[in-house]
Amino acid sequence: MAKAIIDGTEIEVDKGTSILRAAADAGHEIPHFCYHPALSSPANCRMCLVEVEGMPKLMPSCYTQVSDNMVVHTKSERVIKAQKAVLEFILINHPVDCPICDQAGECKLQDYYIDYDTQDSRLRSQKQNKVKAHAIGPEVVYDGERCILCTRCIRFCEEVTETAELTVVERGDRAEIRTFPGKSLDNDYSVCVTDICPVGALTARDFRFKTRVWLLTSTESVCTGCSQGCNIHLDHFRNEAQRYRPRFNAEVNDYWMCDSGRLSYKELHADRLLAPVINGAEANWYEVCRNTANKLTKAVEAEKNIAFVVSPQASCEDLLIAKRFTDEVLKTDSLYLGGKAAGKADGFLRQADNNPNRRGMEAVFQDRAFKPFSDLIEEIKSQKVDVLYMMGSHVPVDADSRAEFLNALSNVELFILQTPTQGDLSEMSNISLPSCTHAEKSGTFVNFDGIAQVFQQAFAPKDGALADGEILTRIAKRMDVDFGYKNLSEIQDTMFNIPEPPPAEVAEETQTEPSAE
Amino acid sequence: MSAKKTENTVVVRKVVRRKMNFAERTYIPEFAKGLAVTMRQFFKNSQPNVEKRDTFTRMYPEEKTVYPDRYRGHHRLMLRDDGQVRCVACMCCSTVCPANCIHITAAEHDDISIEKYPSVFVIDELRCIMCGLCVDACPCDAIRMDSGEHIQPFGERGEAFLNRDLLMSKGSLSMAVQGGENG
Amino acid sequence: MFDFLAPATAEFLVELLITFVKVVLIVFVFVMGVASAMTLLGDRKQSAKIQNRVGPNRAMLFGLPFTRILGIPHFIADGIKMILKENTVPDGAHKGLHLLAPALVFAPSLIGWAGVPFMDFYCTGSITVDPNTYREICAVGPNGEPGVWRNYFQIMNFNAGLLFAFAIAAVSVYGAAIAGWASNSKFSLLGGLRSSAQMISYEVSMGLCLAGVLMIFGTLDLNEMARQQGYLLWGWLPMWGIVVQPLGFFLFFLAGMAETKRAPFDVPEGESEIVAGYITEYSSMKFGIMQLGEYVAVVFISALIAILFLGAWQVPFLFGDGFHFPGMETIEIPYIVVIVLRIGSMLFKILFLVWLQFMMRWTLPRFRYDQIMVLGWKILLPLALANLVVTAFIAAIL
Repeated sequence: MAKAIIDGTEIEVDKGTSILRAAADAGHEIPHFCYHPALSSPANCRMCLVEVEGMPKLMPSCYTQVSDNMVVHTKSERVIKAQKAVLEFILINHPVDCPICDQAGECKLQDYYIDYDTQDSRLRSQKQNKVKAHAIGPEVVYDGERCILCTRCIRFCEEVTETAELTVVERGDRAEIRTFPGKSLDNDYSVCVTDICPVGALTARDFRFKTRVWLLTSTESVCTGCSQGCNIHLDHFRNEAQRYRPRFNAEVNDYWMCDSGRLSYKELHADRLLAPVINGAEANWYEVCRNTANKLTKAVEAEKNIAFVVSPQASCEDLLIAKRFTDEVLKTDSLYLGGKAAGKADGFLRQADNNPNRRGMEAVFQDRAFKPFSDLIEEIKSQKVDVLYMMGSHVPVDADSRAEFLNALSNVELFILQTPTQGDLSEMSNISLPSCTHAEKSGTFVNFDGIAQVFQQAFAPKDGALADGEILTRIAKRMDVDFGYKNLSEIQDTMFNIPEPPPAEVAEETQTEPSAE
Repeated sequence: MSAKKTENTVVVRKVVRRKMNFAERTYIPEFAKGLAVTMRQFFKNSQPNVEKRDTFTRMYPEEKTVYPDRYRGHHRLMLRDDGQVRCVACMCCSTVCPANCIHITAAEHDDISIEKYPSVFVIDELRCIMCGLCVDACPCDAIRMDSGEHIQPFGERGEAFLNRDLLMSKGSLSMAVQGGENG
Repeated sequence: MFDFLAPATAEFLVELLITFVKVVLIVFVFVMGVASAMTLLGDRKQSAKIQNRVGPNRAMLFGLPFTRILGIPHFIADGIKMILKENTVPDGAHKGLHLLAPALVFAPSLIGWAGVPFMDFYCTGSITVDPNTYREICAVGPNGEPGVWRNYFQIMNFNAGLLFAFAIAAVSVYGAAIAGWASNSKFSLLGGLRSSAQMISYEVSMGLCLAGVLMIFGTLDLNEMARQQGYLLWGWLPMWGIVVQPLGFFLFFLAGMAETKRAPFDVPEGESEIVAGYITEYSSMKFGIMQLGEYVAVVFISALIAILFLGAWQVPFLFGDGFHFPGMETIEIPYIVVIVLRIGSMLFKILFLVWLQFMMRWTLPRFRYDQIMVLGWKILLPLALANLVVTAFIAAIL
């Protein structure tokens, strides 16, 4: 343990802790560009210089370890002078094209200029011209003029993805970030470099010129791309998701997320089903609930074979309602497993299971047995299924089996589909009910590791969409079964059916690390 | 009753009005004074010399008002030296706009030195409140309201959506250096 | 078939034709054409001038800018608008009476003009004036036949003209009352009641003022009254009504303004309290007729005041053969010029009085209803009675 005094605050930290981290613990922010908590410290930006008593020169706080009885000043006159000098040095060749730059609004250089510099440029020389809008990878665009050569991106590729595509070429004011010859920045985590880039040098191809970041509202959510359940910021503007950004969670995804998960926000708005449809005609919720309830009541009374497809894409809250719906309303135990087909794991974040809530589904349904989807296809073919109720339009089988399933559907008397998207499946259904995506409701997903994670509603449901649980509750009410839940927290209290403690551990969302942008 | 009186804490202030004298109470001299005022105005405003009349009305379409230099009129989009739009679609104006009347869609420009330009730039003049904040917000001297024209009335709603080309047709070259002094 | 008419037929037909021409000229050309247009003009342009405005001046005929003059196309447009608008009758209104009321307002104000003289009788012979009594004598015709007085400038000459005019004017109260009652609207009913109460109150004072004038001139014939006002008092003062009945003139003028129900006495309309009073439920030309009736009433009251108090067609010191200024020799003027001067004088007096009424209208704010009643019953009535007594006393002495 080492004791140090930072700006008058006495603090005790482990040996080997950098001054920057110790200062962050003590509540003093030290500006920094090249330092990132998940990466090594090259100490090349010199923005984090602090004055240490007894040292003749200013020390880079990200690299200097705290030693016993160290006295550090982060806001002394020398430090302030150094910070201004560093910023002025960086701005010699920075184009200051903030109106064009996508980073404007979340740019560290902008923020630090306002916080630590605010002086006019004294240089009248021509700025260096470097590469502009260079496609450094399929998903990333590089602007050499804006680059401050902090090398965060290079270290990310070396230390996190271990693909090492990037390096610095040339020297002095002609230095630029480039890929090694013959390589391109196309690993599965390449867009993460745009998150860690402190300026607008590296920007995402997908988000380029799309909107301005200050217009975005950020909601804490969870990525639904696979069962890893990466924590994300869901940035949205005017009821439309604009991008996902990874949210720090040491237990799940650290600071990162994969490219395919990052782009999965597009599914939130693609081909949405906007109103309930009965036999091809749009209806309102009152009509459609009454109609569905009548048909289901008749089917239950006639003791027909009712099959229910449970989706591991749904949240735990919705699945609890689905469980009670099958038990108390449909009175059936022929449950089948829906959801997406399995993909490939890459050993880092990406999991083979593409469904975000399989563990949650198992926890909610407990001892109930699920039959595989292929069994359902066989049973439909042999006309053993009269009524099919399906949650979600994903089918966990390959394309051939899917076609087989679609063909066999004509054997089903009544096919009810609950889905956010429209497609061939919703066209074949007798009744299709628009449900909302995870961005439009709050809920809980349990990832592959058994960590239950809460996601928040980002914006209002699109047109007529309702949460899965709400649809089932309404139909059940029409069939004289009242589940009796008043709000989401009542469902959350009982959904895992474990008396104490109610939900499983909820991931810590507060971030105490120094800012990592 | 008396109890109520003591409870009443309202302070009544009596306004003493000037008593009218006999001449005033007969109404006739005062009426004559009033008639004199109206007569004076009538004859003053009936004289042939328009300049000497008291009427302030301007005969609008024939006699136009000269707007002051800082009059905030029809928006216009300024041009680069080569006639292209100066705007770089930074959306500062649409962000600051209190009426949410500016709609911009940014696009990639072929010229790498320009990089970003507005492929769609629409001002909904029905929403615009002529506050001029967009002009203040613009970092590129791209949008101005100094055309000196006021907004014409619209025949139908669609005409109020002023598109980029129309706004550019009122534009001109700017004295400011594109991209700033050291750009 | 019409044998019994034979001796008089030619003369009768000529008489009929002359009457017809007089009706057309007086009622349609002067009253409805000139006077009403001037009144409308006064209502809009005069008020504009007083209030430092310009008034209507934009409308033009057939897109010709020079037709904008004085905003007259606006009045034409107003009229067209009135005619083209939908004629609505409120639910539950008495349809017949609702239709009758505008006619009852409008007709009396036109019928009253039957007795109004625009000039003395026309003399077919040569006219001479008795230098002592200033009586005009129609002597010998140009061809030696005896001179005859012919009535060319008054629609109907009868010796109860004043009573007739007064009676007819009083009828219009029925129009307002019926309009108020037949509209099935609280506002209309209140307006009708106010209007009848106000008109009846002021008619009392008006009648008493007339009595004073009657005592002085000793006749009910309006033309005879006008003729008498040409006589000179003490040899130099024209014996106009205003000279012999100054208080009467003042009271009559006030009561007359109140009779027309226009500002400052327009409580029956009182738009800030009862929308538009008894015309609330009227639309289209029925509303137009109501308004026009009011304008004509203003002109008619002005004509009555001019006849009774301002010497009607008299021009001071002008007699049939020329000006007789006191202490000077007679200035001979052709008879035709005298006629033109006299008619002009009458028209000028009427329009001046209309103008004066409008001046007062735009000067004064509206009286409260109780103030109107106080003015009518507590001030005008006692004054009129006192005027009558004093006049009677003087008339008895002289």
